[in-house]
Amino acid sequence: MVTKKWILLNNEIMVKNDDEFSLHKDKEAVRSYFLDYVNKNTVFFYTLKEKIDYLIEQEYYIDFYQWYSFEQMEEVYDLVYAKKFRFQSFMSAFKFFQSYALRDDSGEKFLERYEDRVVAVSLFLGRGDVPQAKQYAEMLINQEYQPATPTFLNSGKKRSGELVSCFLDEIGDNLNGIGYAIDSAMKLSSIGGGVSFNISKVRARGESIKDVEGRAGGVLPIMKILEDTFSYANQLGQRPGAGAVYLNVFHTDIEEFLDCKKINVDEKVRIKSLSIGVIVPDKFMELAEKDEACYLFYPHTVYKQYGKYLDELDMDEMYEELVTNPLVKKKKINARHLMVKIAQTQKESGYPYLFFKGNANKGHALKEIGNIKFSNLCTEIMQVSEVSDIEIYGKEDQIRYGISCNLGSLNIATVMENKRVKEAVSTAMRSLTIVSDITNIAMVPSVQKANKELHSVGLGAMNLHGFLTKNFIMYESKEALDFCNVFFMMVNFYSIQSSMEIARERKETFVGFAESEYANGNYFAQYLSKDIAPVNDKIAALFEGMEIPTVADWTALMNEVKVHGLYHAYRLAIAPNQSTSYIMNATASVMPVVDVIEVREYGDSTTYYPMPYLDNDNYFFYKSAYDMDQKNVLRLISVIQKHVDQGISTILHTNTKDSTRDIAKYYIYAHKMGLKSLYYTRTRKASIDECVSCSV
Amino acid sequence: MNQYKAVNWNTPENDYAGMFWEQNLRQFWVDTEYIPSKDIDSWKSLTPEIQQAYKRALGGLTLLDTLQSHTGMPKLLDHIDGLQNKAVLSFMCMMEAIHAKSYSTIFTTVNSTAEINELFEWVESNKLLQFKAATIDKYYRNLDANKVSNETLFMGLAASVLLESFLFYSGFFMPLWLAGQGQMVASADIIKKIVADESIHGVFVGLLAQDVYKKLPNPEKCKEELVKLLMELYENELKYTDELYTEVGLTADVKEYVRYNANKAMMNLGFEELFEVKAVNSIVLNGLNVDTTQHDFFSKKSTNYEKSMEVVYLRDEDFQVEAEPVF
Repeated sequence: MVTKKWILLNNEIMVKNDDEFSLHKDKEAVRSYFLDYVNKNTVFFYTLKEKIDYLIEQEYYIDFYQWYSFEQMEEVYDLVYAKKFRFQSFMSAFKFFQSYALRDDSGEKFLERYEDRVVAVSLFLGRGDVPQAKQYAEMLINQEYQPATPTFLNSGKKRSGELVSCFLDEIGDNLNGIGYAIDSAMKLSSIGGGVSFNISKVRARGESIKDVEGRAGGVLPIMKILEDTFSYANQLGQRPGAGAVYLNVFHTDIEEFLDCKKINVDEKVRIKSLSIGVIVPDKFMELAEKDEACYLFYPHTVYKQYGKYLDELDMDEMYEELVTNPLVKKKKINARHLMVKIAQTQKESGYPYLFFKGNANKGHALKEIGNIKFSNLCTEIMQVSEVSDIEIYGKEDQIRYGISCNLGSLNIATVMENKRVKEAVSTAMRSLTIVSDITNIAMVPSVQKANKELHSVGLGAMNLHGFLTKNFIMYESKEALDFCNVFFMMVNFYSIQSSMEIARERKETFVGFAESEYANGNYFAQYLSKDIAPVNDKIAALFEGMEIPTVADWTALMNEVKVHGLYHAYRLAIAPNQSTSYIMNATASVMPVVDVIEVREYGDSTTYYPMPYLDNDNYFFYKSAYDMDQKNVLRLISVIQKHVDQGISTILHTNTKDSTRDIAKYYIYAHKMGLKSLYYTRTRKASIDECVSCSV
Repeated sequence: MNQYKAVNWNTPENDYAGMFWEQNLRQFWVDTEYIPSKDIDSWKSLTPEIQQAYKRALGGLTLLDTLQSHTGMPKLLDHIDGLQNKAVLSFMCMMEAIHAKSYSTIFTTVNSTAEINELFEWVESNKLLQFKAATIDKYYRNLDANKVSNETLFMGLAASVLLESFLFYSGFFMPLWLAGQGQMVASADIIKKIVADESIHGVFVGLLAQDVYKKLPNPEKCKEELVKLLMELYENELKYTDELYTEVGLTADVKEYVRYNANKAMMNLGFEELFEVKAVNSIVLNGLNVDTTQHDFFSKKSTNYEKSMEVVYLRDEDFQVEAEPVF
């Protein structure tokens, strides 16, 4: 093993000359990576025909001839190769070849370049419709839209995992239900899924089993089993499985739940790799604000009294009742102290996620069908779920909604520059719909049912900070708020329009559409009183050449939706998209960057990544998230959130000196601003140099 | 009769003990937080030569940390003025013991018992490695007496800084170099925590040494002895590097790195650099930078989180935030 030249060159970016990083080294690293590695390790074909036939015959690709003639495929290849795509940074190229490009069975030789992957995805999603395949291909090679990793990675491959990666389900409070969850976790994890469970229905430690008090083990042992399940069922050893569990803050195991992430704690109760999230109903925030006594409830005693699970109750309505009912066992705590404990745990581990249940359900379009009870591994999926009743062998299970979601992200910079917001949203919605159509997770019936009936997708966006910087707009500025307000309103509009068109074409809506807020028009209220348009001239100029939907357009859309319905129960969700943003040479999601050159540590590599478009002129606009007032970030997210039916992965960036109180104040602010969730909290350490120079 | 004093943290003894105490506490970690078992596949993919170098590098580090926790820190803290300084040293002493254990956490995860036993035998029989330990230990043993001269104390402190800031790094090179290229990454999380600790240990003990140095009647003589000691260790370090790294072809890079760190040790002691250093391998240098990095939560554990120190409770006014609509 010798030092790899391209990695060394990439590392040399960090060498400073005259106070400037050696950014040109990154281009040299890309060049070296291709010349010294990729090209030498790519299988060569004399003709395109030879390549396609080889890939199909050797069972790398599915048989595309079932849908296309060679000439039709050639058209798509020509379209894509004519664009002369080049990777803009080492990180982009490295990430693509490292994680996405098809390799031969020995794992040593590449069979695909970026262009080939784009074509394979397009042909696969096109399913024989040549113009449609070309639309996908154009959108992808323009880097206007990026499907989530499983779709981009697996499309068109004969031997591959699923196209969807995100699953959620409830855990019932009995052995059959717990067994079903563990079984689902194992199966979904083995096909590449991240799985999130709501464990709030499980009875607490010390509750009764078969009316014998003190027998239940609580949620921790289940978490321990799930953690081991995920680490066992990895994806053929390629990457570890990932899972999350959410617990309602009113569940009596909540303190134990938070302590599992402590740095120094007994192995039996320590959770290392399972992610955790806390479900926070409005009532809890209210009790903290008023500094009133806060009671946690033993969930099984609640169920025995009301025949309903604790986390299904509306706590605003039921809290007093539960407090006064002597048969409901409870534990008194201080809500403010619990918030601080959450903040303390976040400082030490980055977890837990917070899910603000009230905010998530306030504008929920399917509120008549059910509640949103928890979220997923990245806290952007927010859909209705209901626990299934799993029976013993020979008796029929009652299967209800789990959650399955497939994701993709628009690249804000390219769709804005190409003036193709409408086209990109519509094409992206179609590609997501195809993924939902062909996904059939039969092994987990609750997830299968949800996908079959609700067709949920999650279209998101990336490169916000990159786009703003390129246009010399500060992330924390009023202009940025203005831009996001208009841009995401448009995304919302066109995604509804596209969903309506698909429903019209197929004469099919999601199950339950008639009871939804879309059908009765309530959902559209926020768009009907006043036009949303840029207030700032600079922002208006960015939208020049694109039509911005007006009140009249919204009214017309509302009426069309009433007639034709919507195909998707859920449409938008903004994922954190890490790997995929590198390939796109974009900043991740709608979050601010953490540094002008980010150091990325993945399980398998350390790479230096200069932010997109970085040069001496725009350097200043890449202000680090750690140096921003987090309230400014949360405010921006609140503006986007108004136009997004599901959630937004929102990361808090804090510094070592921030106290637990500072962090807890962000929770309060986020909650009041209507955010639906907070993803993990990152901490920047005070560096040692800084400490010494401050005081010696 | 002796008058016994209790440590009073309410009155600062100097302008840095409190700060180092806090920083140490913040950086606190235990080896079992990390998951080196993720590296098993990576380990199997390495050539036998690299595996050998890796194991031996860690074996050597274990010896140095053992010496530091069992002898170095206890001896030093016995003679250092100031109860707060002593407290900081005793915390560091405990961390050294955790370091020594944590290398084992790595190789006990990837190696068989037979291989582990063989490795420890190698540590005990390798002359160059034993020379390092013996040379440093000699200066620690000079502190055995009840009262020692400032010269002896300075040399004890200086030996400690040489160990922490200089001798460790021929060993750290291997895991950092591999991790930069995507191998043994989970184990490198542990190594990075150790590097972060050693770096504050070196700075702190260096400051103590500088305080003592100022009191010396004939400082030049001590400095001469220090340089002589450093050169002696340096010669040995070059041979040790040859032995460890020749088969994997990294000798030249490691030697440059050794010189780079010898300079750092001198700087921690308040002296000018000794060696001219050209380009140090950027991968390793970047791996050393213990600033916050970005990471993917699902694929690895971060080294960024620290014990939270500032637990402050909420007040009524914290809830009075304005959340008026933006548009």
